[in-house]
This record gives sequence, C-alpha cells and structure tokens, in this order.
Amino acid sequence: MIETILQLAANGIMSGAVLAVAAIGFTMMFAVLRFPNFSLAGHMAGGAYAGWIANTMFGLPLPLALLCGFLVAGGIGVASDFIVLRPLRRAAPITLAIASVAISLFIENALRFGFGNDLRSFDLPLARDWVIGWLRLGPQQVQNAGLAIVAMLILFVIFTFTQTGRAMRATADNAGLAAVKGIDTEKITRLVSFLGMGLAGAAGVLLGADTSIEPLLGLKVILSVFAAAVLGGLGSIPGAVLGAFAIGIVEEASQIVVPATYKGAVGFVAILLVLSFRPSGFLGRRQT
Amino acid sequence: MVLIVRDLVAGYGAADEILKGVSLSVGAGEIVSIIGPNGAGKSTCLKVIAGLLAPRRGSVTFKGHEIAGLPARRTAALGLAYVAQENNVFPSLSIQENLAIGGYLNPSTRRRRSDEIMGQFPLLRERRRDAARALSGGQRQTLAVAMALMSEPALLVLDEPSAGLSPVAAETLFETIVAIKAAGVSVLMIEQNALDALAISDRAYILVLGQNRQDGPAADLANDPEIRTIFLGG
Repeated sequence: MIETILQLAANGIMSGAVLAVAAIGFTMMFAVLRFPNFSLAGHMAGGAYAGWIANTMFGLPLPLALLCGFLVAGGIGVASDFIVLRPLRRAAPITLAIASVAISLFIENALRFGFGNDLRSFDLPLARDWVIGWLRLGPQQVQNAGLAIVAMLILFVIFTFTQTGRAMRATADNAGLAAVKGIDTEKITRLVSFLGMGLAGAAGVLLGADTSIEPLLGLKVILSVFAAAVLGGLGSIPGAVLGAFAIGIVEEASQIVVPATYKGAVGFVAILLVLSFRPSGFLGRRQT
Repeated sequence: MVLIVRDLVAGYGAADEILKGVSLSVGAGEIVSIIGPNGAGKSTCLKVIAGLLAPRRGSVTFKGHEIAGLPARRTAALGLAYVAQENNVFPSLSIQENLAIGGYLNPSTRRRRSDEIMGQFPLLRERRRDAARALSGGQRQTLAVAMALMSEPALLVLDEPSAGLSPVAAETLFETIVAIKAAGVSVLMIEQNALDALAISDRAYILVLGQNRQDGPAADLANDPEIRTIFLGG
C-alpha cells in the first residue's frame, strides 16, 4: 500500500508541476485583469499544436517546441485580448468571463477545422521507465516536470528581480496607483496576456508530450487549472503553484478510492471545499 | 507659477457636476492648501489635476504644459506626483520595491534616489524588506510620500495626508512636508486638520460647493474670525 501511495504522490508531483505552469498563467491574468480568463483552455490547445508542428514537421527538440508553443500561444493571447477583451475592459467580470469562453471555443474549432479531431503525438524517443527503489518514473514525465520547474524559475526571476516584473505585480496590486506612478497599465495588461497565455501554451506542449494532443486538450484540464488557482488563492502566484501540486497529488491519490475516470471530479470537490471553508484560498490576498 | 488651474468644471457622472469653475495656482517652492467642507470638491479637484479624472471644461497648466485630460502616467512623467488619501502603497510589494516603483520613470537615478530617500526616512531603510502591508497607518503614509519623492517631482499633490493618523504621526508628517518644501518642491494639499495645514502653508483656497469662496495668505485666513468660525471649528 505504501508503495502505491508513494508512486501516486510522485506521479502527482510531476503532473502538478505541469498543471502549475498553466495555473500561474491563469492566476497572473486574474490578478491584473480581474476576471477568470477561461480562454486559457483554447490557448493551451493552440500552443500544443504549435509545439507539435515545431517538433514533428521541423524536427525541433522538446525544449524548442515548448518555446514555440509559448510564443504562439502568447501571440494569440495578445491578439484575442486586443480584438475581443480590450473593448470590454470596463464591463463586468462575468461578461469578460463569457467572452473568454467564446474565444476558447473559437480557437478549439479553428484547430478542429485545420487539423481534425484525431489524436496526435509528439515525435519523442521511447525510453524505459527509471526504477528507483519502489518508484517507477517515466523519463518523459520527469523531463516535463523539469521543464515546468525551469519555466517557473524564469518567471520567479522576472517577477522578483526585474523592474517590469515589479510593474506587473504593482499593477496587480492597484492598477490606478500604478498609473499614477507612470506605469503604462495597458502595456502591462498586454504583457500579462502574452505571458499568461504563453504559459498556457507551454503547459499544452508538456501535456501533449506526456500523452497526445487534440483540439479539446485544454478543455479537459481547465477545471483542474481553475481549481489549482482557486485553492491557492486567485491572484497569488505562489498559491497557484501550491494549489497545482495539491490538485496533482490528490487527483492521483484519488485513484486509490475511485476509478481513474473520476479523477477530474477532484477539481470540483476542491473548489467546493475552498469556497465553503476558505474562500480566499491558501495564500489568497487579503484586502488591506 | 508651477501650476495654474482655470475655471475647472468636472464630475463623475453625466448629470453630476462637482466642480463648478474652480481656479487656483501654486508657485515654485510654495505650500498651498485647499480647505472646505465635505462635498466641496477638494478631492475631485486633485484627481483632475493628477489626471485621474478628465474635466468637462477648464484648463490645467503644469510647468507651461496643458495637462487637463492627460492620463495620470503622462502627468507623472512631467513631474507631478500625486498621493491619494487611501490605497497609496502597493501592499504586497516590499518597501524597497515600492520605492523602486516610485522611481519607475527615472531608471537612471532610481538607485541613488532610493539611497537618499532611505537616508531621509531611516524607518524605511530598517524595514526595506518588509511588505508594505505590514506598516502602520503613519508609516504607510510616510512610504507613500517617499514613493512620490522618488520621481524628484516639481509638484507634490497630497490628498488628506494626515487622515487616520495619530496626532504624533500627523505632526511628523507635517514636518516632513515642510522639509520637502525646503528642498524646493511645491506642494498642493487638502487636509482635514485645516488649522494644522494652514500653519505650514504659504497660501490657501477655500472651496464651497465646487466653487472658490475665498483665498489668500494662509496666516490671514487662519486668523480671520469668520473663516475660523465657519470652516476651522472656531
């Protein structure tokens, strides 16, 4: 039993690392734009297809395919923000959330129109699992988790040590005050859309590299991403990372008691519990 | 004059006119106060000057530039620093990071200025790594003023700087404002403690219902029996 639990925990940490990349994107956009941007699902799929093309058609290795997924999804994110969301900036959050669902549907159906519904796989070398004591670890999963952690570290450096990162955090704290200090908050919004959707695209590539890709790839995990962000506290980046690892581990551990097909229900339960007992999440912002 | 405001008309809604033709000016190195009862439009006037609210009519000239209707970041770039009454620091950023954002528009002088400001306010140096949310009300207000000074402004605009502060903290803040003036920065402020504000001001304007009621040297207004009775609580 203990072996099973440890194995599921290890699997959960690895899937949580990938989930964290998307959850950071989701929560950082929420912090600045003040609405849940569900178009993250479509951007995940868009990024996954961009990475897949880079990998299978141009023969690029996974890290470069990941970069392609990041850049393409980020670019789509800026375009969708400019065309659809910017004119609605002063609308209520629910209006923006609904518009974001429409963007996601548009991207998913554009992908379906271009590539069909078939499952597609990355061109990656097959490798035996690594066996460490009781644990069996897939080399691809480990590489994905490693790339996810590198992406998070790069983001940490940007947010903590650069003036642009500080400006993004300042805008998330108080956009009006940020403008008074001379920050171009509209430019910061575009940058956050680029980074947030870019991270979603990168997460899409990592998910695709682990299994396969299809137009609904993002839709299938958006609930877990949303749950991770809510669990950690919407708007908190460390919270999103913590929430993603928690969701990843609990989703895997749930397989001890329920069939794997019900894994997705963990997100629902997590959101329900958080909203019932701690609406601000683990590290949610307190109004001061 | 550093700032000249002429016949300013402004409000928040289509039918809502808070300012009904306000005029004022601030000279170089002056402290100018705006006083008046609640609803006089004092805060609205400062928001228009800072670029947070577009006026319907009138002009705001700052260092020779017409700034009425310019967004806040553009007025900040011209050297006008506005400190709001509340929510005037970034709570999740450290004190050091708040100062860095205060100097956002001046990257070449940011480090030097940050060292100077921390020398001027030792408390900020001691607690530079603490999140701003951990500061007391008075300390936050000091940080907000320090952030404004990071940009080496020509005009500091303060909206009720002593609101919510203890008498000791308020006194310290007024001393800081006097020191800012001595450094050559002009100050325009509104203040609930009108007598304290007049005590450190060169001139003052009294607004009532969005219009100029009276203006003159601060000492004269502070000693005017009618003004004292109506606006300064006797």
